[in-house]
Amino acid sequence: MTKITPDFAEELKKYGDDTALICFNCGTCVAICPLVSESFPRRLIRYIQIGARDRILENADDLWKCLHCGLCTQTCPRAADPGEVILSLKRFTVANWRKSYNV
Amino acid sequence: MFSPQTIIEILADNVRKTRNPFGLNKTGLNSWWKNSNVNQTGDTLLFTGLMYQLVPYIKATTKYLEKYEDTPKADYIRYGKRIPKPLVNLGLKIISSKEDKKYFNTLLCNIVKILRSSDVSFAYNPELDEYSGVLLYDMGDQESFVTHAEYVANKLQDAGIRKLITVDPHTTYAVKVLYPKYTGISFEVQTYFELARLKGGDSSSEVTLHDPCFYGRYLELADGPKDLLTGLGVSCDPINTSGAFTSCCGGPAESISPKLAEEVGKRRVAELQATGRPIVAMCPICLANLQKAGAEVEDLSSVLVQFVS
Repeated sequence: MTKITPDFAEELKKYGDDTALICFNCGTCVAICPLVSESFPRRLIRYIQIGARDRILENADDLWKCLHCGLCTQTCPRAADPGEVILSLKRFTVANWRKSYNV
Repeated sequence: MFSPQTIIEILADNVRKTRNPFGLNKTGLNSWWKNSNVNQTGDTLLFTGLMYQLVPYIKATTKYLEKYEDTPKADYIRYGKRIPKPLVNLGLKIISSKEDKKYFNTLLCNIVKILRSSDVSFAYNPELDEYSGVLLYDMGDQESFVTHAEYVANKLQDAGIRKLITVDPHTTYAVKVLYPKYTGISFEVQTYFELARLKGGDSSSEVTLHDPCFYGRYLELADGPKDLLTGLGVSCDPINTSGAFTSCCGGPAESISPKLAEEVGKRRVAELQATGRPIVAMCPICLANLQKAGAEVEDLSSVLVQFVS
């Protein structure tokens, strides 16, 4: 069962752009992404929207497949900046890894 | 795929201790300028960000990473951080190719020739030329990136540098966009091709340009090289996937997944080769990854230097 963290989008704000909630899941980013697999990056943006914080941390390695090429951001019809959202998730994940070393 | 967590911690540790992502001794890494008779003082600095210089080491390391990706031995990479830096330095020096070092150094010498021929007044002080830290930013290690960027920006500011002439898209993006945003320190930043004023010859050649993502999209500078070459008589009709819609070369994935880098690189090579014209890149990462994916690719500086009188 996935635990939901309703204020996850709020928590993410300190790691970068606050645009994930603008996304209406059209899938343009998935179609244009050179990775062409597993609904990337839309799936991860959807996880933010529903507050699936733990699901993101469980699948965190996938974030680093992103080449930061910016095609998704260039073509997003909602200006939701998926590339920057993925970068924010990387920052969030790195910060969580580092917190866990210090526990 | 290698563990991003492990790779990030190795890169961050290297940058913290040696100011470059490979843990290399800077004197050995940055030697291209020694025969260029460059002026070392002035407030306009040629700032390479050490990217061209690092490519021979990226190539050598990737060759080893490829062998172990998705094998049980991939996990051994986590011990990389424990290897003393002098030993890392020696190992990388041995496994990297002398020909590659010579080739990438020549490209920087080409850029000096292009700037001189264009009557651009600039200095090159190897002491001030540092890695920008952009890989840490791309990897999401914001804390390490900002710490390193502050070190570099303060060093340049303290030395009285006002203007930076850059040679690759990643460093350009870092010093032009990220440094002001995250360090509060700004420089006037221009790429060498924006400053190039060369005279055309009788050339009637044709090339296909591979626009890097950072020039094509993030910095919107893709028209610069195209217009410059066109003015010199080199035809470079853009392909569909160019400018703001250029395709990635795959290079940025090298440290995490050489397999993914190769897969994306091969796709891009097919797009570029479809024109049948010689391919020209303007980023050392793109250049190396497209060459690795099987294409014959020249650097923009190699084309432009032919017009130096």
